[in-house]
Amino acid sequence: MSEIITGLTTKEKLNILADAAKYDVACTSSGVDRKGVKGSLGNSVSCGICHSFAGDGRCISLLKVLMTNHCVYDCKYCLNRRSNDVPRATFEPDELCDLVIEFYKRNYIEGLFLSSGVLRDPTYTMQKMCETLYLLRTKYRFNGYIHVKTIPGASDELISMAGYLADRISVNMELPTDESLRKLAPNKNFRTILDPMGKLTNTIVAHRVAVGKSEKMERSGINRYLTGSIFNPDRSAGHGLRLDGQGGGGGSLLPGASGSSDKTALKTTDNLLPVMFHDADRRRPFAPAGQSTQMIVGTGDETDYTLIRTAQTLYQNYDLKRVFYSAYIPLNDDDALPAIGTEVPLLREHRLYQADWLLRYYGFRAEEIVSESEPNLDNRMDPKCNWAIRHLDQFPVEVQTAEYDMLLRIPGIGPKSAGRIVRARRYGFLTFESLKKMGVVLKRAHYFITCGGRMMYRIPIEREYIEHEMTDMSRKENWEIRHKDEQFRQMTLFDIGMQA
Amino acid sequence: MKVFTCGKSYEDMLTCIYDAWSYALGAGHDGVRLMCEPVSQLDMFADYVHVYADDEKSQKVMRSIRRISDIVYMNVFYALMSCREDALDSVYRYLIVAFREGRRVEQMLILPEVMKVMELRRTVGNEVHRFREFARFTAIDRRVYVCHIEPKNNVLIPVAEHFADRMMSEHWMIMDDNRRIVAVHPRDEDMYIRALTDSEAEVLSRAEEMRDEYTDMWKSFFETIGIDQRRNPECQRNMFPIWSRKHVTEFMQN
Repeated sequence: MSEIITGLTTKEKLNILADAAKYDVACTSSGVDRKGVKGSLGNSVSCGICHSFAGDGRCISLLKVLMTNHCVYDCKYCLNRRSNDVPRATFEPDELCDLVIEFYKRNYIEGLFLSSGVLRDPTYTMQKMCETLYLLRTKYRFNGYIHVKTIPGASDELISMAGYLADRISVNMELPTDESLRKLAPNKNFRTILDPMGKLTNTIVAHRVAVGKSEKMERSGINRYLTGSIFNPDRSAGHGLRLDGQGGGGGSLLPGASGSSDKTALKTTDNLLPVMFHDADRRRPFAPAGQSTQMIVGTGDETDYTLIRTAQTLYQNYDLKRVFYSAYIPLNDDDALPAIGTEVPLLREHRLYQADWLLRYYGFRAEEIVSESEPNLDNRMDPKCNWAIRHLDQFPVEVQTAEYDMLLRIPGIGPKSAGRIVRARRYGFLTFESLKKMGVVLKRAHYFITCGGRMMYRIPIEREYIEHEMTDMSRKENWEIRHKDEQFRQMTLFDIGMQA
Repeated sequence: MKVFTCGKSYEDMLTCIYDAWSYALGAGHDGVRLMCEPVSQLDMFADYVHVYADDEKSQKVMRSIRRISDIVYMNVFYALMSCREDALDSVYRYLIVAFREGRRVEQMLILPEVMKVMELRRTVGNEVHRFREFARFTAIDRRVYVCHIEPKNNVLIPVAEHFADRMMSEHWMIMDDNRRIVAVHPRDEDMYIRALTDSEAEVLSRAEEMRDEYTDMWKSFFETIGIDQRRNPECQRNMFPIWSRKHVTEFMQN
C-alpha cells in the first residue's frame, strides 16, 4: 500500500475519496419521513430528493464519499484494492462533518453516504465511521439522511451503533454466488456478508415491532396486497425459498438464512440489540429506511436468472428495501475479469432494474420474468412487454372491468395510472382519450387493451406481429442506451486506407 | 358574458371566485368567465369587471372548499399557483362540480373539469418538487443563506415551507426573481413572504456571486462523481433541464 500522504487539503481529499466512491450505485435518500427539529439541521422526505444530476445522468442525492480509500483487501474488481497504486487519503471525522453540514445548508445534498475501504482492520475502520456519524448526529446536530455501508467483518456492536445513527444501512453482496465471490474477492465470503445482513434484518424487525409497526418494511402502496406479489403475506409459503441447485454458474446461495422464519427471527442472540453507547441515542429508530445491497453485473458468467432470483430471495427473506445493480466497468487488468475497454453492459443493467421494479411494484415474481430455460432477459424489449407477448392468451384486457392486478400487468400502465383508472371508472365510461390523460402510454398499451369493447386500432393479436412492433418501438431507445458514450466524426479518406 | 378579472395573489383569486359565483347565481355559470390580469386580448362582446381582494370573501370561499375535503382544497391551492392563463377559470369550473358532488369529485377523473385541475396540480406539484431539489443557497459569512429561483408557476410558498422545516434554526431567504417576492426566515422564527423593491432586489442579486471554498469543493465533487464510461448528457438534460440551471451553483461559470 502506498504511503499516507500528509498535508492534503480537504478539497484534495474530497476529490480522491469521491472518485473512489463513485462506482457505488446506491444514491437514494428515500424511505423515511422525519420532521425538522428546532436547534437541529435537516429533515427527511420519504419520496427522496435528488439534488443534481452528474454528467452520466445519475442522480446526486447524497454526498457519496469513502471514509478512506486505503484497503487491506484485494478484491479483483475494485479500484481501491491493495495491489493498485492510486493516491490514498483519509478524512478526519470533523472535517467530513463540516463538509456535510455546509453542503446541506446550501441544499447541495440530502445527506451523507459513507462507505470505506478497510484501513488496518474492519473494526478499526467501522469505528472511524461510527465516530463520524456520532459526531454528525450529536455535536453537529444533523438530522438529515445518512446511508452507511457496513464493513464485512466489523464487530456487532459497531454495526449496531451505525444502525442507530444512520437511516439506511447496507451490506454489499457484490456477487450473487459464493463461487464467484471466492474467485474475485478472495478476502470475503458469503458468511461474512449474509451474517450481518441477517442480523440487521432481525434488529430492524425487533425495533419495528417494539414501536408498534409491522415486522415487514412498508412497501409501495398496493403491491403487498396483489395476489402474486412477493411481499404478499399470504404467500409466505414460498418464503423459505432456497436458491441452491440451479443451472449455469450455480453454486448454493443464501444458505439457511437467519431471517428466513419470521417467528424464530426474534431470538436475542441473532440481533444487534442492545448497544453500548449513550442511552439517549437509542431513542433513534434502528435504520428506519431499511437496508439495501448491491450486485455487480457482468463480471463473470452469472445469468439474469441468478441475479433476479437472488434479488427476490433477498427481498423476501431479508426484507431488503432495495437491491442495486451495477454494470461492471473494467478498471483493473486481471485475467479473471473482462479486459479494460470491454463494453459496459448498460442495457443489461437497465433491463435488470426494469425486472426489479416488476418485482417490487407490479406484483410479478422472478419465475414469471425469467426461467431456467431462458435465463437472460430479452434485450430487445422490456421484461413487462416480454411477459405480455408470452401470455397473449390473457389479452386483450377490458380496462373498464379488469382487476387492478391485471391492469398492472398491461405494458404501458403503471401503478399510478392503474389506480386512476380503477377510481375513475366507477363514475363513467373510459375512453382512449381519457386513458391517455391519466398517464397510460397508449403507444404500448393499445396492443393489449380494449376500451368499451373496442381496440384502438384494428390489429391482430398475434405474437409475431406484436413482437415485431414492440421490438421496433424500443430499437431507438436500446441503441441509445448501448451507444450513448460514442462520439461521431466525419469519415475521412485516411480511414479507408488512402495514403497522404 | 361577464368576465371577472383579478390580480394574481391568492386572496385576489378567491375573492374573484366569490364575486363571479354570486353573479352566476342569477345569470348561470355559463355566463361568467374568470381571468387573471393582465388580460392580453379583450373580447368585444364581454363586460369586464375588476375584482379587488376582500379578506372576508376569500376566507368564506376557503372555508367552504375546506368543507368538501382536504384533497379538493389542496387541488385548488396548487392549481391556482399555475401560470396557465386558464387556471383560474378551470378552478371555477372544477368547483362547480365539486360543490355538486361533494368529496366524490376527488376520483371523478372522467369529467374534463376534474381532469384539468388534476393536470394543473400535477404540473405545479412537479415544479415544487423540482425547486426543492434544485434550489441552491449561497452563504454570506456562513450565517445568512440566500437563494434565487425563477419558477414558471408561483411555487415560492410550498418551496419555502419545505425549507422552513428543514432549516428551522438558520437565517435564510428565498427570492422569486420573476415575481419579485421573497420568503424570509429568521432563525427559530416564523417565515414571512414580502414583496421586494428594486434596490433590495439589486442588492440581493449580488449575493449569488458569492464564492467560497465550499462552492469550489462542490463543483469539483460534481465533476468527480460522474463516471466517464457512462457519460450521458442527454439523460442529464432530461433530468435536469437547462432552463432550470440558471441559478444552480455547479453549472455557473467562474
